[in-house]
Amino acid sequence: MTDTRLHADEVNRTFGDVAALTAVNLDVPAAAVTALVGPNGSGKTTLLRLLAGLDEPTAGTVAYHGPAATREVGYLPQRPSFRPGFTVAETLGFYARLVDDDPDRLVERVGLSAAADRRIEALSGGMTRLVGVAQSLAGSPPVVVLDEPGSGLDPEATARVFDVVERLAADGRTVVISSHDLALVERTADCVAVLDGGELVAHDSPAGLRASWGGPLVETVVDHVDGITTTPADEDTTAQASITGTDTTREADQ
Amino acid sequence: MTRFAALRPALAATRAVGERELIAVVRSRTYWLLTAGVGVVVASVAAAGSGVDTGYVPTVVDLLVPTEVLVPAVAFAVGYRVIADDDRRGTLTVLETYPVPSSAYVLGVYLGRLAAVLATVSIPLILVGGYVAASAGPASPVFATHGGVDSPALYGRFLGSTALLAAAALAVALAASAVSGSRRRALVAGLLGLVAVVAGGDLGLLAAVNAGVVGSDTLSSVLAASPTSAYRGLVFETVVAVAVERSPGAVAVGPAVAGLVGWTLFSLLVATVAVSRR
Repeated sequence: MTDTRLHADEVNRTFGDVAALTAVNLDVPAAAVTALVGPNGSGKTTLLRLLAGLDEPTAGTVAYHGPAATREVGYLPQRPSFRPGFTVAETLGFYARLVDDDPDRLVERVGLSAAADRRIEALSGGMTRLVGVAQSLAGSPPVVVLDEPGSGLDPEATARVFDVVERLAADGRTVVISSHDLALVERTADCVAVLDGGELVAHDSPAGLRASWGGPLVETVVDHVDGITTTPADEDTTAQASITGTDTTREADQ
Repeated sequence: MTRFAALRPALAATRAVGERELIAVVRSRTYWLLTAGVGVVVASVAAAGSGVDTGYVPTVVDLLVPTEVLVPAVAFAVGYRVIADDDRRGTLTVLETYPVPSSAYVLGVYLGRLAAVLATVSIPLILVGGYVAASAGPASPVFATHGGVDSPALYGRFLGSTALLAAAALAVALAASAVSGSRRRALVAGLLGLVAVVAGGDLGLLAAVNAGVVGSDTLSSVLAASPTSAYRGLVFETVVAVAVERSPGAVAVGPAVAGLVGWTLFSLLVATVAVSRR
């Protein structure tokens, strides 16, 4: 593929006696979407935080191989929350000022121009998440790390967020996301890293995984990730698939 | 030039954070209720005493004790949960990905909130001073004083000392907010900090004197270690004593100023370390 933007080498992360990550090796390619998938507790958020430079590995290294930038990595937390009493434009204006960026550019980038004057607390969950994505883009970081950008959102809002994610990679940005939504991951990601019990059990393109596992991720992941069970899928339904910690489900689109 | 260029992003971040804090406070209805409440208390205390009809120094004497409690209370109300809330929202985590040092963030929060605290505290006091000037001030206002002369300058010193107490109390409140991990803990830590600033230092000194650890020869210097004692002493030494041409020897002025500045700097350091370790 393309250049490696982030490289995790034999990364271990422990919290007391609990090993959250064990000997993880991962190359994150530039200008692509890399998705981390796995059940709850598999180490996705821990790995994301390490890749974003928000935490230090207990052993091993995480290296950034991108261009010099005021802000190398942008980050969207799992549940972004902002200071109430401020509008969308003011909120993004604050973050933009920290890196000498243009807040209007951020607002437009995520399609929130029409809501720029609305108070943060008056936004829907999906719009709040988009504000979070816009915040992660302040300063034009070469790498953007998004922790479950679609979690807790309705399908329409999730699709909107993932559309933004796709456009970011298309514009040359390196994007790392974690998600339980396997159907969207297969549609959006260029690379998929499957974590299970803190170990990286697979890392390939969606097509590569499909070829080596013998079917769509949502149907075959059960055979490769411990502790995941699956509800048989109806072949006629469109996928609304997710790993929810202990099970993989596929539901019909309503 | 190069050093300034290196500091510029941090200064810009401090300014951005500070302005956000000030806007957040000013937009809060609670802040205006608090400001109105302080105004009512100050006006009531001034009206209840006879100082405002007599001069600046008698007014200061009337206001001193209530101010000792009011100012730290306002500072804690404005600052006790601000950093804890930013932590709860994930703002501190997000800011780690920006070129914003913890010290720039803490300083920005501090300066923004300090502007709000000073406005709340000083506006009623200035209005009272204005009333004194209109009703009881010296016929020829004296802006440089010598012993025995009441003056607006003395009232200005009172305001300056009060600002120092506010600065120290707010810094302690931010430190309490930074070391607590939740809003509830922030409230508890804030109340403990408030008690420590208002009464803890004095009680500790009293215990030290009773135990013989502090003698009468060193008392005036050691008093400076307690924020309220330092403040009270400063007002006595730089305002009341000047007017009565006799120093009560309440506290050593230099150590008192250093004590309040020290509380401020130490508390901001604690807050910065706590934020950087999150």
